[in-house]
Amino acid sequence: MREKVLQADDVEIKFSLRGKILTAVRGASIDLYQGETLAIVGESGCGKSVFVKSFLGVLDKNGWVSRGRILLDGVDISKYKTEKEWLRIRGKKIAMVFQDPMTSLNPVKTVGEQIREVISWHFGTDKESSRRETIELLRQVGIDNAEIRYKQYPHEFSGGMRQRVVIASAIACRPKILICDEPTTALDVTVQAQILDLIKRLQKDLDMSVIYITHDLGVVANVADRVAVMYAGQIIEYGLSREIFRNPQHPYTQALLASLPQLGVRGRELESIKGSPPNLYKEIKGDAFAPRNPYAMKIDYELEPPFFKVTDTHYAKTWLLHEKARAYAREISQQRAKRAGAPPEALEDPTRNEVLVSVRNLTVNFKLGRREFSAVKDVSFDIHRGETFSLVGESGSGKTTVGKAIMKICHTSAGDIFYKGKKINRRLSNRELTEFRRQVQMIFQDPMASLNERAKVDYIISEGLYNFKLFKNEEERRRKVAEAMHSVGLLDEYATRFPHEFSGGQRQRIGIARSLVVEPELIIADEPISALDVSIRAQVLNLLNELKKEKGLTYLFIAHDLSVVRYISDRIAVMYKGRIVELAGSDELFARPLHPYTRALLQAVPVPDPDVEREKQVIVYDPRLHDYSVDKPYWAEVAPGHYVWANRQEVANYKALLDA
Amino acid sequence: MRRYYLSKLCQALVTISLVVLVVFALLRFMPTTGYFSKEEYREMDEVARNAYLRSLGVLDPTLVQLKNFLAKLFRGDLGRSMTLYPKSRIQDILRDKIKYSVMFNAFSWVVSAVIGMPLGIAMAKNKGGFVDSAGTAYVVAVRSIPSIIIHFFVQVYLSKWLGLPMLFKMNQPASWILPTISLSLGSIAGYAIWLRRYIVDEENKDYIKFARVKGFSQNYIMVRHVFRNAIVPIAINFPSDLLMLISGSLVIEGLYSIPGMGGILIKSIQAMDNNLVQILVLLFSTLSVFGVFLGDIFVSFVDPRIKLQDKED
Amino acid sequence: MESHDVASYQDLPDDLFTRAEFREELVEDTGFSNYSYWQSTIRTFFKSTVVKVTVALVLVLVTFTFAFPYISNADPYKVSLSSKEWNLPPSREHPFGTDGVGRDIWARVWYGTRTSFLLALVVAVLEVGIGVIVGAVWGYYRKLDTLMFGIYNTITNIPSTIYLVIIAYIMKPSIVTIIIALVSSGWISEARWFRNKILALREADYNVASTCLKTPVNRIVSRNIVPHIMSLIIMDAALTIPSSIGSEVFLSFIGLGIPAEMVTLGNLVNQGRSAFLVYPFQMIFPTAILCVITVSFYIIGNKFADASDPRNHV
Repeated sequence: MREKVLQADDVEIKFSLRGKILTAVRGASIDLYQGETLAIVGESGCGKSVFVKSFLGVLDKNGWVSRGRILLDGVDISKYKTEKEWLRIRGKKIAMVFQDPMTSLNPVKTVGEQIREVISWHFGTDKESSRRETIELLRQVGIDNAEIRYKQYPHEFSGGMRQRVVIASAIACRPKILICDEPTTALDVTVQAQILDLIKRLQKDLDMSVIYITHDLGVVANVADRVAVMYAGQIIEYGLSREIFRNPQHPYTQALLASLPQLGVRGRELESIKGSPPNLYKEIKGDAFAPRNPYAMKIDYELEPPFFKVTDTHYAKTWLLHEKARAYAREISQQRAKRAGAPPEALEDPTRNEVLVSVRNLTVNFKLGRREFSAVKDVSFDIHRGETFSLVGESGSGKTTVGKAIMKICHTSAGDIFYKGKKINRRLSNRELTEFRRQVQMIFQDPMASLNERAKVDYIISEGLYNFKLFKNEEERRRKVAEAMHSVGLLDEYATRFPHEFSGGQRQRIGIARSLVVEPELIIADEPISALDVSIRAQVLNLLNELKKEKGLTYLFIAHDLSVVRYISDRIAVMYKGRIVELAGSDELFARPLHPYTRALLQAVPVPDPDVEREKQVIVYDPRLHDYSVDKPYWAEVAPGHYVWANRQEVANYKALLDA
Repeated sequence: MRRYYLSKLCQALVTISLVVLVVFALLRFMPTTGYFSKEEYREMDEVARNAYLRSLGVLDPTLVQLKNFLAKLFRGDLGRSMTLYPKSRIQDILRDKIKYSVMFNAFSWVVSAVIGMPLGIAMAKNKGGFVDSAGTAYVVAVRSIPSIIIHFFVQVYLSKWLGLPMLFKMNQPASWILPTISLSLGSIAGYAIWLRRYIVDEENKDYIKFARVKGFSQNYIMVRHVFRNAIVPIAINFPSDLLMLISGSLVIEGLYSIPGMGGILIKSIQAMDNNLVQILVLLFSTLSVFGVFLGDIFVSFVDPRIKLQDKED
Repeated sequence: MESHDVASYQDLPDDLFTRAEFREELVEDTGFSNYSYWQSTIRTFFKSTVVKVTVALVLVLVTFTFAFPYISNADPYKVSLSSKEWNLPPSREHPFGTDGVGRDIWARVWYGTRTSFLLALVVAVLEVGIGVIVGAVWGYYRKLDTLMFGIYNTITNIPSTIYLVIIAYIMKPSIVTIIIALVSSGWISEARWFRNKILALREADYNVASTCLKTPVNRIVSRNIVPHIMSLIIMDAALTIPSSIGSEVFLSFIGLGIPAEMVTLGNLVNQGRSAFLVYPFQMIFPTAILCVITVSFYIIGNKFADASDPRNHV
């Protein structure tokens, strides 16, 4: 075993909020060894960020460590009271990187200055030599032209570059431990891959121990040597990365892995976790996950389980490992295996159905000040009835703009959009517009922003019924609302409540019910699961799939995450800077990606499998690799149903590749 | 960058012209009887009255009056007061008065910055504690009680307790103290409350939390990051403050009989001294509009993000 | 994370290791919180002792002021011809004393408070009302920006005394004149403030959702917009009251206020001021009442603003 650099024992952290006491961390323990990467995985509100903040003494003012100890170099730092004591640790021994690089830097200081001041402050280095050191650091984190970049301000850097700067300033004092709190969540996937790579390299060069805080199991698989799973303020399972991914023991870990859409097979329902993580104001008895666990035992409701040993490195806090539960545990795993082995439902090919939406040469220009730029350039595709068509791309790819244009909440600059053969990007008569609005609905990304906080659920769901006069009397309206709520798995009594009483997943389902109640035919879903907790995503995806089958819906699914889209889509279009660069059937696209951008994107998406992730090489897409100066690109069908944006030469290459 | 300044400058000019035009037009709505005292009005007959009005130039068509006004202005002639200080040159009137107002405002500006800013910082650092509560109580009192009442009590009681003169005399510096205190009370509260708010806002930002985990001390963060950024939205007003030094406080100059600019506008309006009103409005609005303009430019030097916006234009 | 002692768990009954019933309502309950915006706002608001005191104070003052004419027959206008009745110090008969012509200050204070209150209330309602309506239209039609910012810059750069004097010339000095004067210079700032709020609200996803459902504008306003700015409206109105009362005092000071024959707090304070050095009580009493009102409303407005911010809720 390597040297232990940090040890947290039975840490309990409380907050006082307006007279109430909330326990955010309920006795969590971890060890951190020299040079290793430990990932703490958990959903929002599980206490993972709060837990690691206590290692630096930067809890919010109303929080305190109420029990346990945190040992660093043999000293219990949780007993530190004064700022002076903490200053010996922060930045020097333990450093931290935050989630959002856009807000982590002071906007009115040059980036060089912000790194330089760390060096001067900690080592008292004079200006010139700390400046030189800073430039060296900038180079080390992969920033070109460091001399020039030194003098620039944060807003002149892209998100990924800013995160590099943040990392540079965190490692400026060669800390022993680097804590990364969701360091790539705010970044695009291709940038994420580069940042993860950078952190790995720095860790090796500087021989640091790294703690990752994340909700993304793909990232975990990519970076972690060991994994600790956190739920409701406790670590419930920890072990080597392979042990957790291959042989999870706690029902929560098992369910979480099984519910990942990345690993889902099309046509088979995802194993979803019902409900939402518990509210920490309430007292938790027994196993916190029990109410959401359909296989929970009686004891799970009674007594909190201790840690049971699985291997020397793998422990889990679940009664299933108790010897008296052995038979029951076997029974469950058999049931699971049976369900997982069930053959997926046969899928029809919806492209044989009639075309519902047809987009032809769509261009959308926006004015930014006096300059005009194209958010969407010459985009064409068809969506067939009963199909799930996905638009995938990173931020700024124009995918949302296409959705909005079809939804008629955004202008178009050129091209046509046809819905059921009728051109809709023109001024519609009131009757036409009403009919269109009823048939095409939208589901939003952020369930916190998309519901009117001051209206009751009943009104929110009824809004469409009122607008399209879809009921004869009050009784029928209520019945329709109740039906819509049932279909998304909400209880009747919620109708009289306000949205803020619900969790994110419940709110997203309310949003879906609002769209469904008017019986639409096409639903535009703009990143409907990216703002949701991991354990909730499968719920919503299953629901969308189920509703599609039941009501014969058609989806336009907009997402940034290719791996999620694979599970749900029939066909996928990949967008880059306003243009569709490749369009193909879901399986085809994954099996034979052609466009270099699609390949980069596919490679960058972290897969929740440590073996795959370990082997992976980061590909950076550089649009300059295309030479379109003479040989102009066009929209080419290289195989039936597989389109690429390429020039003659490239098309020939792609075709050869497909034939090989 | 130049385009940014130009467009701001154009906006400022348009605003000033609009203000002058509107005021010019409004003044023509006033009944002509206002140009006479009651006795004069009774003594003069119609012909005499008209002759008098014509001599003042108020019977010309509005556009002609506007043209004359502007033409004179371009020659650098501010004209003469008509009724309030009959036949005096406006330049002379203003020159006499401005010096008093500038003097007091400058004193008070220094005093309020020196007291108000540290108070705001102390309140933010001590959030929820005694200094904060006491400071907040002071701010609430100053901002909610009508200023006349406060100034009046300051004059009556402080003069008694501190043994200071109640009325202003130029050659007696002790008499300058009370007006300065009175003038400063409100702006101390302003500096304190806004600086406190900006500091608290700033402290909640991610980069300040990040600075903490980098191992800087609270004091270092406060001085190098928080204060510097929190001062920007306050500093945006400095140019305005500087230019508006010339406008006196009506109440305070009234109470201490300071012969400054305060009240001259109201008196001139009441006396329907059109020339004087026009010049004053032009003066005040130009200064305030340019104060905002200079503030924008000033901030564009302090905050690098503004330059970027311009590039994207 | 060393070895864990599990020996003590050996004697648990076997029955506990069987499947428990899965309860749907428990599942959905896990993420559920019992939260209501207005309840939390009110609760947070009244948690502060200062708020309890000021609200009680305002309630007592308002009730007493408006009940005064019915419970007392003291006449605020009655002048005494006998100089013995002039400038009397506070006594049983005249709790606040009498003024230079023997009028009962006690009665004058309450009548004056009533006038000032009404004035402030009307100004608050008009200013905020116009502000909300204009702000809503302005926020919804971006094309109005150039025009409205032009108006805004012009109005805020013309000294408000100019309107006052001009309006006073056009109309007789009276309460209505003062109201028009105050509102005509104040509405545009309110409108701009609400415009910014509404502009931010307009972009919110739930409003886009309503657009997608083709909800008519009147229902978007009444259901999506107004409930969200209700707390702002209340706060704004509460803060306009002390500033209107203050303006009335100022106007009375420069001689442009409500005619001196009428009783208002501004007139009382300014009349008292001239006699202050000899008969301080003539100014002290009206001033005290006036300060209680303005300070209370200022505190209520600000505390309500804090309480209505969901970040300050539990």
